[in-house]
Order: sequence, then C-alpha cells, then structure tokens
Amino acid sequence: MNKYFDICATTPIDAKVLSFLKKESKNVFGNPSSIHGFGQKSKAIIERARINVAKSINCSPSEIIFTCGGSISNNIALMGVLKKGDHFITSSYEHPAILNVIPFLKRIGVSISLIRPNKDGIVDPTKIKDEINSKTRLVSIMHINNEIGTINPIDEISSITKEQGLLFHTDAVQAMGKVIIDMQKGNIDLMSLSGHKFYAPKGIGILYIKDGTHIEPTLFGGGQESDLFPGTENIINIGAIGLAAKICHENLNSHISKIKELDDYFIELLNESNIEYIINGLNRVPGVINLSLLNAKSTAFIINLDRKGFAISAGSACASGASKGSHTLRELGIKSQLMEKSYRISFGKFHSKKDIKNLFELIKKSIK
Amino acid sequence: MAKTVLVAMSGGVDSSVALSKVLEMGYEAIGITMKLWNNKDPKTNTVRPSLCNSADAINGAKLICDRFGVKHYTIDFIDLFKKHVVDDFVSQYMSGKTPNPCVKCNSLIKWDALIKFSQEIEADFIATGHYAQIKKRGDEFIISKGIDSSKDQSYMLWDINKKQLSKTLFPIGGMTKQEVREYAIKNDLETANRAESQDLCFVLGDDYSQFLYEIVPDKMENISDGPIVDEENNKVGIHKGFTSYTVGQRRGLGLSFPEPRYVKKINPINNTIVVSKKDALYSRQCTAHSINLLKDDLSFPANIMAQIRYNSKPSSAEIEIKKDDEIKIEFENPQLAITPGQSIVFYEDDTLIGGAIIK
Repeated sequence: MNKYFDICATTPIDAKVLSFLKKESKNVFGNPSSIHGFGQKSKAIIERARINVAKSINCSPSEIIFTCGGSISNNIALMGVLKKGDHFITSSYEHPAILNVIPFLKRIGVSISLIRPNKDGIVDPTKIKDEINSKTRLVSIMHINNEIGTINPIDEISSITKEQGLLFHTDAVQAMGKVIIDMQKGNIDLMSLSGHKFYAPKGIGILYIKDGTHIEPTLFGGGQESDLFPGTENIINIGAIGLAAKICHENLNSHISKIKELDDYFIELLNESNIEYIINGLNRVPGVINLSLLNAKSTAFIINLDRKGFAISAGSACASGASKGSHTLRELGIKSQLMEKSYRISFGKFHSKKDIKNLFELIKKSIK
Repeated sequence: MAKTVLVAMSGGVDSSVALSKVLEMGYEAIGITMKLWNNKDPKTNTVRPSLCNSADAINGAKLICDRFGVKHYTIDFIDLFKKHVVDDFVSQYMSGKTPNPCVKCNSLIKWDALIKFSQEIEADFIATGHYAQIKKRGDEFIISKGIDSSKDQSYMLWDINKKQLSKTLFPIGGMTKQEVREYAIKNDLETANRAESQDLCFVLGDDYSQFLYEIVPDKMENISDGPIVDEENNKVGIHKGFTSYTVGQRRGLGLSFPEPRYVKKINPINNTIVVSKKDALYSRQCTAHSINLLKDDLSFPANIMAQIRYNSKPSSAEIEIKKDDEIKIEFENPQLAITPGQSIVFYEDDTLIGGAIIK
C-alpha cells in the first residue's frame, strides 16, 4: 500500500471499515423495509450510518440520501432539478459525471453555460455571476478538482447563487477527507460524495440535499431513499460509508496536518534536486500534486514506475484507460507537449515520510 | 535476468496465445493494447473506440494479462495513426487508388512506434500474434510465411524496417489457427472462442465511403457522379463517385451487358471509370514505388515470386530496379486486375524478401 500514490482515483478500505464489512456481511441480510427483526436490524444500520455521515459534514440526517456512488449522485441532482427551458451553469473541467450529463440536458431543452477555469485551475465566481440570466436554475461547480487538486471558492459561489435565488450543487467527491466540509457554512443546496474516495468500499455514494430543496425523482421503484434512489438498500456498504465518514471526521484535523507535512516534504525534495518541474494549479489541497516533469518520457515514465510497484496517475482514473492528456489540463491552457509529461501524485493516510522519499528517489532515477 | 518482451494485445485468441508462448519461452512480458482510433457512429453521432481498441479488446487483453500475472497498459497512438495510416488511406482513395492500410499500420505504428516505446520502458523485444515467422539465416533475420498458409500474414509485413526484425518475435507463426484455438481451449484462456473480425479495424462496418465522409467531408462533397466508359471511351453508364470503386470490381456498376464488365481503371482527374471485359484486366507487368527490401544480397534482375493482393497467390516474376524508388515487375503469367495502391510483395519460396506499392 505504501507504494500506492493514486488515492484520488480510489482509496483502499480502512481497516476498521473492513472489519465491519466482514462481520456484518455474515450477520445482516434482512430487508430494511420488512416488518420483522431481521429487517429492523438492517434499517438500524442504515439510519446509524445516516447519522454518522450527517455528523461528519454538520448537517441533519434527513438531508442525506445514499446512492451507489458519486457519479449517480451527480446525475440524480442535475436531472432532478433541471427541466425544459432552464439554464444551467457549470465549469468545463468538471468530472465526466457532470460534463457527460450535458448532452442529455440539451436534448430535453436545457441551455448550458460552461465556465472555463482560470490558468491556475480555479473557477472565478464573477464569471458565474456574468452568466446568470432569468432562466438560470442551477449552478454546479466541483469543490476540489480531481486532477489538479485546486480548491474552488464554493462559499463565495454559493453566496452568489443564494442571492440570485438559484440552486447550487457541488461535486465534493475529492473534498471529503481532505478538507473540512461544514454544511452550516456557505449555501450549498446539493452535494455529491463517494465512499471509495475516503476509505469506504466502491459502489456507495451520498447525495446531500438541503432541507426544503425539491428534486424530482428520475429513478422509480419502492420509494427508498426519499424516492430518489429506489431499490433495496445496499445495507452493508451504507453501514461502511457511515463508519468511514465517522473515522474520517474524528481524525480530520490531524490527517490534514499530516498530509500537509508530507506534501511540503515532497516539494522540498523536488526543490533540493535538479529535477525540472512545474506544479499545475494554485491553491491546491495538500496531497494532490499534478506535476509536469520536463525530462520525463511521457507514458513510459508511469510504466517504469509501475514496474517497480509504484502507482501514480496520468490524470483521472475515469478518463485514463489510455494516456492522452487530461481535459482539465487542456482547459487550463497547458500545451499538449507538457500535458503528456504531467502526472498526478496523491498521498493517503497510510503514507509516511519514508514512502514519500522512496517515491521521490525513484522519480529522480527514472528521469535521468 | 530474463529479457522483457512487449506483447501487442488485441484481446483476441492470437495475441493471448502469443503472450502465453512468450512466457513459456522464459521471457518476462508486458501486455500493451495500442489505442489507434475512435469511430463516430453516423446514426447515433456517438464516438466509440474502433475495433482494435474497443472495450472488448482492452478488457480481453487485461483479463489474459492478469491471468498470467503480467502488467497490461493501454497506450494512445491515435495522433500517430492518423498521421501515418488514416491520412495516407484517405489520400490514396482520393487519387483513385486502393491502399493496404494494415501495411502502414504495421511498419510505422506496430513496429516503428512500438519498438521505440519498448525501448523507453526498457523492454528488449516486441511480440505480436501475426501468422508469420522470424528466422535467423547466418547473421540475417528474415521473415518467412506462417505455417498455416490459410492464415499467413506475411503479405502485410513487407514494409517493416529490416533492422527491427532482430527485436521482433512472432510466437504463434509456427502454429496453425486450429492449433492456436486448441492451445487456448486446453489452457482455458478466456479469449479462446472470441470471434475474429475481418473488417478494417478503424472503418466502422467496413463502409470506407462513409469513413471518407467523416474524415474529409469537404473533399467528399466534391466527389460527384461521372461517366463510366468502355475502353474506346464510349459512355456506358454513370458512376456514383470514383472513390466508391476499385480496380477489378464487378458488382455495383449498374451496367447491363451480356458479358460482365469490370473496373479496369479509375481516373480521378476527369472523374471517369473505365470498364472492360475480364480478359482485358489481365496484364503481365506493372511498376511499383516505395520499395522495401528485406534481403541483403538480392541482385537485379531477380527471379522471384510476386503477390499482388492479400488473398491472391504469389506468381513467378522478374523484378528489376528501374530508377530510384521504382521497380518494374514482369510476370511469367498474366495477372488479373493489378490494382494501383495495393502492395506487391516479393517472396523466395516462403521467405519474404520485400515489397512495394503498385503504381
């Protein structure tokens, strides 16, 4: 695990969460909607998880619905809010789970404004303000960019949307566990989270819906999760995401300091060496480093690291079956020659300074 | 330490068995699927990876590599493929010729680019699932036909740089297709029964006219109907645009003669298709350009066997270099429909000794 530097793609499951999964998978199977005790036990796991998640982001449990992942949460939010004639504002470097909803939205008669981030990788709130018109219904801007780790001013953006009477959604999939998320600050109406980015299993996500915000159902079934994500609940994974959120919340301050220390150390090592590099994006979250290595040999660099057991990324995992440059870097105006030599390195809670040093030494050796 | 082989994986049975054979030979292996092209489906307007790098292809390759504990990577070569293969394919058709894109893809992408890449990741060889064999004759590496004559792919390999042969392995060239399938079944390879595609991998549904519209819509707008004429220049019909025809074609001409007519010549300059009876399609000689010779000590004129298309048989011929990059081929027996743009490939017995592109 200590050679895995791709936690933005996905995290391993936390040891305590894994124990929970092993234990409860044996014991818990009842349908939460059933009248009997088996069902009641399952229901309790779900509601306990809802409380844990709510506590971790300082909101009410009734504002949490469980889905099967961040992408679905984004889809439910966008498709449940926007209807024919509405105008939607988002940024051009969102995750595909936002950008690829756009063709569908266009087909149903929603007009779109795409805001480009500035060269530092930040969405400028004034640009959003400029795009708002009488038809604008929803603004969706990612909290932290998944490829470069830049932090968007979502408090400022959400105060604009509140002032204008619009809804604000944020894809905060990369934010959970990396920064403090407090729903009592700012004016976020809708927020998507994904379990496997904060040490819970894959296939489980969250949609935060501020009390009083109405979303039309887009999936239909037995009415589970406030009618928005129907189907018999994924009880064990819901319990797991609740536990992961709790662990994440309890350790967040110390975790943030630790990752910051590792990030500083890595940059220090780079600066002390003769490696020529550029870090893409300003105001980024510690532990997510998008690095252009001027003397690296494109994709071969990643493969050479992988052959030594070290995992880094060429961009987002969702887009990188192959190695073509990332759409985020393209939106920042970074030239394709540089994009090909850009890599994302992301640190996790299991890393130590020694791990960082080992990675650095291998990078140094590989670009000689 | 074991040498490392970069195995080009298409997710099909041939490359799966090639990987397994490479490991049997004692090499270390790395699997690679080359991302070469994306097709736009005109019906749905959606963009999908083309056959050679479809999700099925990549998933199949990853599955097989995982089974052997081999690392697999998908690497993007789309820009290079466009430059060397697609652009050439388009320009050949626009000049009334019928190209073999697989030849360019092999020499410039699967060999030049892949060997360069293999060096960057410190691999020693590349291997592919082609039905052909590499042999060492003295100090020289040569390509010879695959054991399975019905599957032999040496025709498509003539343009490879000779220097790269020492870095190349064809692990299944000594097997028949049936043996490859049986090997895959016996070893329980998940891709054992995967169907083969005969289409051009980057042309959706083998509809190359639609493909040309997708790539060069402006040029295709200017391709219009024109006359079909006989050998005496009498108009006998109307064609639908010269890019839709190939020399030797019989079907789809819309002509009614007691004896069938065939496309003899395509003339893009005056937008004319010349047709003739089958007899008039036979000729004994042609010239070719872009020569690549894979044998060192060939002296001219040389008596060799020459093959004018992928699915034809080699025929006895004399070749002579006329001037720089022009070779004259004189066949012992007349050949049917020698087609400009196609590869003419030279053999001595089963040894591939070179090739060129028919003028």
